[in-house]
Amino acid sequence: MKNARISWAAMVGLAIMLSTSIASAQLNSGAQSIALNATLTESLTLNLSANTVNFTLSAGSPTNAGSAGITATTTWTLAAGRTAVGVYAYFGSATAALTDGTNNIPSSAFYIADNATPSAPLINTVAFGAGSAGLQLANVPITAGNRSGSRTDAMTFNINLSTGSLPLLPASTYTGVLNIQAQATT
Amino acid sequence: MQTRTKFGAMAALLIAAAMFAEPARAQVRNSGASPIALNAVLSDSITLRLSGNAVNFTLVGGSPTNHGSTGITATTTWILRPSVNSLKLYAFFSSSTAALSDGAGHNIPSTDFHISANGGAFTPLTNTVAFGGANAGLQVSSVPIRGNNKTGTNSNVMAFNINLAPLPNLPAGVYTGTLTIQAQAF
Repeated sequence: MKNARISWAAMVGLAIMLSTSIASAQLNSGAQSIALNATLTESLTLNLSANTVNFTLSAGSPTNAGSAGITATTTWTLAAGRTAVGVYAYFGSATAALTDGTNNIPSSAFYIADNATPSAPLINTVAFGAGSAGLQLANVPITAGNRSGSRTDAMTFNINLSTGSLPLLPASTYTGVLNIQAQATT
Repeated sequence: MQTRTKFGAMAALLIAAAMFAEPARAQVRNSGASPIALNAVLSDSITLRLSGNAVNFTLVGGSPTNHGSTGITATTTWILRPSVNSLKLYAFFSSSTAALSDGAGHNIPSTDFHISANGGAFTPLTNTVAFGGANAGLQVSSVPIRGNNKTGTNSNVMAFNINLAPLPNLPAGVYTGTLTIQAQAF
């Protein structure tokens, strides 16, 4: 009986020693935190491969191609909720897209062929520019799969001098500014 | 006469007794020993300090390189028991899938969060370590504990990067998270 009590006491003591040993097996420092703040700013950029196009006009001709094509590269990183990116070409005036100061070439006579699609005149009212002086080159639906992305629009240009009063356009130098701009919408 | 003789004998006896008693009083007499129990505890401890508690990131969509605005030095100081063999420093997130989040369901996982310790290679937090979420940690350092460094200190300079190459469609937004640093001895 006495031996049994001693054995029991020994076992309890051993258990206490073991639990103490296990408890002290590892020691942790306090946890120190670092607050992380990462900002991905929304961006939409458009770059052109060149900024000048020349035309050698033939009076009354429907075909007066520009000296060079220009590629517009649009790159974006967009916030959740954006649904589309549009790329537009436009003039500041529908009646005087190009002018010599007196005589004008309207935007309806200025054509753009985008990515080898049929050329189209700038006759629409778009997000930028004057009324009836624009053309939407592209509309890219934005989904979770392309919130960051890019596209290219290879544009070629033509001036049609065969319509309206343009066959009577006097010889002169006509200048104008065509703008290309992109817009992300929600 | 007889009385005087008796008185003289008693006086002589007293003087003799006094003479014999003096040497006995000169011997050492000790009290009982009173013990004082001394109990000196040198507690084991690990202290972790960070040089900063916030890191900002200016993200570029799709870019593999988005370094944190600052590095952070973790200084670990320890006093350990003889039974301890190793001291490890861990960095971890509580979730591997949402290390940083915009709170709208768009996340940066821990696998795209990288730490460079002491100028070493950037390494993602993809391991299951002593703390944090599964597959959301990284062992920053390991110090063998021997007889001569039971007490010691160690510094780890951490630099941070977020790799967005695997996340090209992460929407623009502000992503926040908490990186935790903690040490463990065992």
